[in-house]
Amino acid sequence: MANPIISLKQVYKNYGYKEVLKGINLDIQPGQVIGYIGPNGAGKSTTVKILCGLISDYEGTVLVNGIDLKENPIAVKKIIGYVPELAELYDVLTPLEFLGLMANLYDLDEAVAKERIQKMMQAFGLSENINQRMDTFSKGMKQKVLISSGLLHNPEIIILDEPLSGLDANSVIIIKELISKLAKEGKTIFYCSHMMDVVEKVSDRIILINNGEVIADGSFHELQSQQGNNSLEKIFAQLTSQETLGDTADQLIKAFDN
Amino acid sequence: MINRFFIKMALLPTTFYRKLGVDSSQLKAILSAKLLMDDRRPAAIQYGRKKTDKPVSGATWATMITTAFLGLLFIFAFFVTNDSFTQFTIYFSFYIFILAATLITDFTSVLIDIRDNYIILPKPVSDNTVLLSRLLHIAIHSTKIILPLTISGLITVGIKYGLLSTLVFFFLFLPATLFTIFLINSIYVLVLKLTTPEKFKSFISSFQIIFSIGIYASYQVIPRLMGNAFLEKYTIPKNISSLFIPSCWFAGAWKFLTSPSGDWYFISTFLLTFTMPILSILIVIKYFAPSFNRKLALISGSEQATVVKQSKKTHIPHAWVYRLAGWVTNTNVEKAGFLQTWFMTGRSRDFKMRVYPGFGYLAVFIFLTISRTKRNHFTNIDLNNTGNILLVLSLIYFVSFVIMQALMQLSFSEKYKASWIYYTTPIRMPGELILGSVKAAICKFYLPVVLIIVLAGIFFIGPGIIPNLLLGISNQILLSFMISFISLRGFPFSQMESAKRKGTSFMRGLMSLFIPFLLICLHFLVFKYTVPIFLLLALSIIANWLIAGSIAQRGWKYFNGNYRED
Repeated sequence: MANPIISLKQVYKNYGYKEVLKGINLDIQPGQVIGYIGPNGAGKSTTVKILCGLISDYEGTVLVNGIDLKENPIAVKKIIGYVPELAELYDVLTPLEFLGLMANLYDLDEAVAKERIQKMMQAFGLSENINQRMDTFSKGMKQKVLISSGLLHNPEIIILDEPLSGLDANSVIIIKELISKLAKEGKTIFYCSHMMDVVEKVSDRIILINNGEVIADGSFHELQSQQGNNSLEKIFAQLTSQETLGDTADQLIKAFDN
Repeated sequence: MINRFFIKMALLPTTFYRKLGVDSSQLKAILSAKLLMDDRRPAAIQYGRKKTDKPVSGATWATMITTAFLGLLFIFAFFVTNDSFTQFTIYFSFYIFILAATLITDFTSVLIDIRDNYIILPKPVSDNTVLLSRLLHIAIHSTKIILPLTISGLITVGIKYGLLSTLVFFFLFLPATLFTIFLINSIYVLVLKLTTPEKFKSFISSFQIIFSIGIYASYQVIPRLMGNAFLEKYTIPKNISSLFIPSCWFAGAWKFLTSPSGDWYFISTFLLTFTMPILSILIVIKYFAPSFNRKLALISGSEQATVVKQSKKTHIPHAWVYRLAGWVTNTNVEKAGFLQTWFMTGRSRDFKMRVYPGFGYLAVFIFLTISRTKRNHFTNIDLNNTGNILLVLSLIYFVSFVIMQALMQLSFSEKYKASWIYYTTPIRMPGELILGSVKAAICKFYLPVVLIIVLAGIFFIGPGIIPNLLLGISNQILLSFMISFISLRGFPFSQMESAKRKGTSFMRGLMSLFIPFLLICLHFLVFKYTVPIFLLLALSIIANWLIAGSIAQRGWKYFNGNYRED
């Protein structure tokens, strides 16, 4: 096996007394599409935030392309592109201004950046809105700008945190296509989502975490062979929920009994 | 507690409501929820109030107390002049202005509560219930402002003119208030006609800024008007043209009701007082309300409505800002900070609200300082006079307080969560970002003032002042860099407003007062000697260069480590 491009060793993180990550160990090979799933509060976004530099006070070792994230965060950030989930934006800026800002922060050559921005906006059908302030944009339009901002510097690793929120059906197809094309180019993709059907289709390898621990790891077929021939949704429910979810629905219905 | 009282009062005529087809338990539910929300939202009238971590509660009391202070301000009307008609005219003018201003700034969010569309409209609530709840809400809200606003006026009139006059006066607030509501509505309709709905909100915030500057100016000016001999003799002429001033109607009606006479003027004011507000309210209901509601619906649906409109501009807007950024910055990161700050300071509503009133206060202050010293005849200032030198110096240096205020606010924003971009990008020297940001603030807020100072200096004093001006300007830029060096610890627009200052802030505050003082003293000592001025200027420029360099060299360790999401 080649050297892993991302490697987490015994990564712990706590907020006060609450332990969010309890020793995560992961090795990710270049060119893989990782589906990173887990229930709310499982530690998914904490892992993502550590990887992209938003959280720096964790315990354990994170190596990206052989570089220790703690020792040389700048070098790591250079090769990572991050697309946050419906993140807050300085939305009084226009897409051109915002993406220009990102390009400057990535220290890209201005002419190169300008051309890329124009092309990306055109591809997303936003070229007419490029000089419009984003506070008038719909969720989907903002998400397209965010996706462009994560890809602008042509990163080796792309971290997508629920990238499909707010996008319409056609845009979802575009993004799924984009993910597989990027993977073919050898990019590593770290895909976080609640949408099991999409994860099932785009990922080479699925990692399921619950309560800050990895509880399942493998390709969709491997998971199926371990857990019975179910959809990812069913496997997810089997592994992460103590009671059967049908009971919860029953209890809700029973609330009308009075 | 006070809200419960208001709700009880509002719900008294239940049977009447039932006849109107209003469900009173729904009405009560809607009203209590609205008043509860009002109570938890800080009122706009407390401009400049620092937000704290504590959730707002009891905002009603706070608003009432602040409003009472505002009311205190305009009882001056009863003391500046001897003519009672003029006194009441002035009082009512202030009343109408302040009430309109508070209602516009404070009440817009109530009127334009788009959540109604999602929460109440889909529920089985009748139109009449919704309409009545809105009307009662407006009435309760206005009462909360009107009572404290007028209490000091009522007491003053009671002492000066007796009980009957006070009752008449109190009674006259009703037509005056109705008329004010008409005024507000006209303003809304006019603004919505002239601009797009999304610009409406920025209109409101500009209005708030002007309002707070106006209040500051009145607090400064009004005490000086007391005992002014000219004003004491001044009376408003009782002729046709003054009949066009609404506050004259109410003042005239007071005069007519307290001392009836056959004077045609007072009879007409009396008639106008009672016909005009009713007429205007009818106009509001018949003509304004429908188009207003349609426009309001547009505001709530702005997301879909405005995006369609696409700009066909092919050139990059603000190209000159990019060029300027290219001239004054050295690296890409610095440029990013510059452009980010330049664009955000002009567009972010909350930044403008925090900083722009300060500019206004300063303008008022400088204007008053100059007008107080007009005996000096500015056309030929004698610079051998120590007082004059101090005046010129303080005018040059006072301006820096504006840029200070802007600098101190640079790292705060309501959109602080958007600062993830600084943490996920490979910024080697975060200090460069800060330096770019500071440079933008200097270029945007200080350079235009510099231009005015230089022109004014040359015009009023002559070219001889130029070396001193240069030193002053360089020193102020130095001050800006120093203050940023000492106290800017956050990335531009990356921190919550309520973020508490660290324990060292007292020392920092002291430093930021001491340094300007020191610089003014130094400048004063060399004011008359050209050679030392140029020496100091050279030193000041070198210091600028050094400090800017050390801001840029600030590494990650210096900045509050993590991205804060909550």
